[in-house]
Amino acid sequence: MLQYTFRRTLAVLPTIICLIVICFFLMRLAPGGPFTSERPLPPAIMANVLERYGLDQPLHVQLWTYLKNIFFHFDFGPSFSQRDRDVNDIIAAGFPVTLTYGFWSAVFVLALGIPLGIIAALRQNSLWDYIMTGFAIFSQIFPNFVLAPLMVLTFTLAWGLLPGGGWNGGQWEYVIMPAVALGTSYLANVARITRSSLLEVLGAPYIRTARAKGLAERTILWRHALKPTLLPVISYMSPVFVYMITGSVFIDVFFSTGGIGQSFIDAAYTRDYSVILGLAILYSVLTFVLNLGVDLAYAAIDPKVRSGLK
Amino acid sequence: MKTTILAALIGSTMLTAAWAADVPEGTTLAEDQTYTYRVLDEYDSLDPQMLEGVESSTVVRDLFEGLYNMDAKGELVPGVATSHDVSDDNLVYTFHLRDTAKWSDGKPVTANDFVYAWKRAVDPELASPYAWYMELMSIAGAAEIIAGEADKDTLGVKAVDDNTLEVTLSKPLPYFADMVAHATTFPSPSWAIEAHGKEWTRPENIVGNGAYILTEHVPKERLVRERNTRYWDNEHTVLDKVVALVIGDENQALTRYKAGELDKTDIPAGQYPALKDELPDEAYAVPRLCNYYFSFNLSDTGLEAFKDVRVRKALSMAIDRKVIVDAVLKGGQFPAYNFTPEATAGFELPEIDYAGMTQAERDAEALRLMEEAGYGKGGKPLEFAYLYNTSDSHKQIAIVATQMWKQKLGVNATLENQEWKVFLENRGNQNFDMARGAWCGDYNEASTFLDLLASSSGYNDAKYSNDRVDELLTEAKTSHDTTPLYTEIEQIVAEDMPVIPVYHYSVNMMLKPDLKGWPMDNVMQKMYSKDMYKVAE
Repeated sequence: MLQYTFRRTLAVLPTIICLIVICFFLMRLAPGGPFTSERPLPPAIMANVLERYGLDQPLHVQLWTYLKNIFFHFDFGPSFSQRDRDVNDIIAAGFPVTLTYGFWSAVFVLALGIPLGIIAALRQNSLWDYIMTGFAIFSQIFPNFVLAPLMVLTFTLAWGLLPGGGWNGGQWEYVIMPAVALGTSYLANVARITRSSLLEVLGAPYIRTARAKGLAERTILWRHALKPTLLPVISYMSPVFVYMITGSVFIDVFFSTGGIGQSFIDAAYTRDYSVILGLAILYSVLTFVLNLGVDLAYAAIDPKVRSGLK
Repeated sequence: MKTTILAALIGSTMLTAAWAADVPEGTTLAEDQTYTYRVLDEYDSLDPQMLEGVESSTVVRDLFEGLYNMDAKGELVPGVATSHDVSDDNLVYTFHLRDTAKWSDGKPVTANDFVYAWKRAVDPELASPYAWYMELMSIAGAAEIIAGEADKDTLGVKAVDDNTLEVTLSKPLPYFADMVAHATTFPSPSWAIEAHGKEWTRPENIVGNGAYILTEHVPKERLVRERNTRYWDNEHTVLDKVVALVIGDENQALTRYKAGELDKTDIPAGQYPALKDELPDEAYAVPRLCNYYFSFNLSDTGLEAFKDVRVRKALSMAIDRKVIVDAVLKGGQFPAYNFTPEATAGFELPEIDYAGMTQAERDAEALRLMEEAGYGKGGKPLEFAYLYNTSDSHKQIAIVATQMWKQKLGVNATLENQEWKVFLENRGNQNFDMARGAWCGDYNEASTFLDLLASSSGYNDAKYSNDRVDELLTEAKTSHDTTPLYTEIEQIVAEDMPVIPVYHYSVNMMLKPDLKGWPMDNVMQKMYSKDMYKVAE
């Protein structure tokens, strides 16, 4: 398995380099640059500014310098829109924020979604099932950009229980609303996927066998049915989790968390090339790591997959 | 040598109290002197010589202090300098610095700190995007240093002694002293900058000479500054702590204001009348030094029809500015018939013929001009694209204006919106028929607006060129009575109509009633936290 992990890691390097090169050129295709402003800089000042940031160099030289700095110095360059900071600083400041509420959001989704799905499946066509289905539909028609303002109006303005936004070092009262607002629609999906997956597993021949040999229903559920039930949940959650911890742009902007999601949007608007690139790389590395993690989790759960990894 | 009026005035006021929070006697101050406000976005920089943003300079005005400050009306008051003298040829300014001014690490603030900062601002190696400000101040050598033709040590600024700063100008500039209240000219601590490089503005590294020191800065989330006990006038500072929260969504900011999390926030477009009804003591609309206009493209790439001044004037007259201001914007903005906002200091609103007409008269005149030019109803069809950057309020104005043209003149204007930087690129390269424009004054003097209409201006997107206007603008730079010059410029511009003035701005904001001292009468909206205080409710 270690060898497998190593092989996968090596294979991803060319992908990331391709991604950098494509992003690098795509961004420069967009009209305007980081220093295009309502007040165009006088030519002499523009020349000084471009020289300082190396933007006066031919594109291939800029790209080469950029790649060299990343691979040899782990330096993702200076930000053009926040002039006192580097991209490394911006990620170091914003990523822990999204990671925190993204993590708690995932915990919220799994800790509630899976049990809900299980109960709905075990009590198929009961009141519980209908409540769960109703909830799933509800959360689909109340996406986070509707839910979040409603939550703020209720918990902040009407009841004064929670702060309406901000982060304040990640105190719990600041984390709750972003985590819940981000997670709700995924929660419903996880519950739905768990429910249908468990129903399918419970109809499988080996469960019938287990029942036939007289195992207790509880043992059947926990020892035999649950693991295969979770496989589709895991593959569903892996891209969702990347999305959660790299920050939903909406959640970051709405709750003013200072998370990394907002930087994506801002950097695109301000043509902050190095920030966009840095975030794109972060995003792809995380996607890779989590996909790998999912594959390894699959192997841990499913013996069939495990033997295929060798 | 002559001493300026300012210096004479200051001489007497200094004897009483320094300029700080003006708390009336008998006021009960609130226990908690914390002021929390909303900012739209993260700061571009907290380095006085590097920053460009309006919000950044608000913070830097608290963290550093320049030669002069502004009071609640926008008038100059002493900062580190107590007064200045001007040589007879108006080229040499000598500033006298107080000896009580200290940096937050205890070092005295000297003339050398200003010399260091000003040389830094023009240094091509630092490459400040705001270096042009030093050029605008006409400091001797600034242009050459920026262009890399001279060494930065040749800049016309020197420390005669620790408390005397001498500045030499390349040409007389009547409003030079007004310009030293701007952040670019604030002193900077060479030792801290040399020790920490570009990280010197972090809370753990920064050294300032303002009324506050930076204690916390979480990018895109919050910035906290607290009272600097070493500030020379600390005893008159009332607010202990100032917190800026970055909140991108203005409606969300308003909700948080209503929940009591903020003392000040902006009013989302169009919501001013409703909020004024709901919270009459908290909603404010005050003039701000900005204009909004439509720019024709008069360059070779422009539309042939727009080369005809009658077409331009007809389009301008057909716009009912009252409708735009009262029905679309609804925030106390001012209909504009000329370029410079009336609120600009020392600016007298010139007589502009079409400003005095009723809208019915303007409409009739517009129709007549359009017919005479042979376009519109009954003439050649006139079609063009109106370009604006993507935003709801720009779109609403565009819809209303193009509808007016269509109904009154039979002109077909299509709307074209573009993302901000794409828009700037196209507008800057004259790749448009007509485009939205807006300008906010850099300093409180009419030339900050009118200079845009000079043929040589980099901001003249219309590519308007009138020799007489250029001549008058040059003359105004050294004149002590600018009113007749500016009046003539505005009148020529109203005759030529290279741009259609639409309205002049107002700031719409919510302010908690217990917060006092906000500079309502300062059209530059330059606030200093040290001048504000909170009263007990």
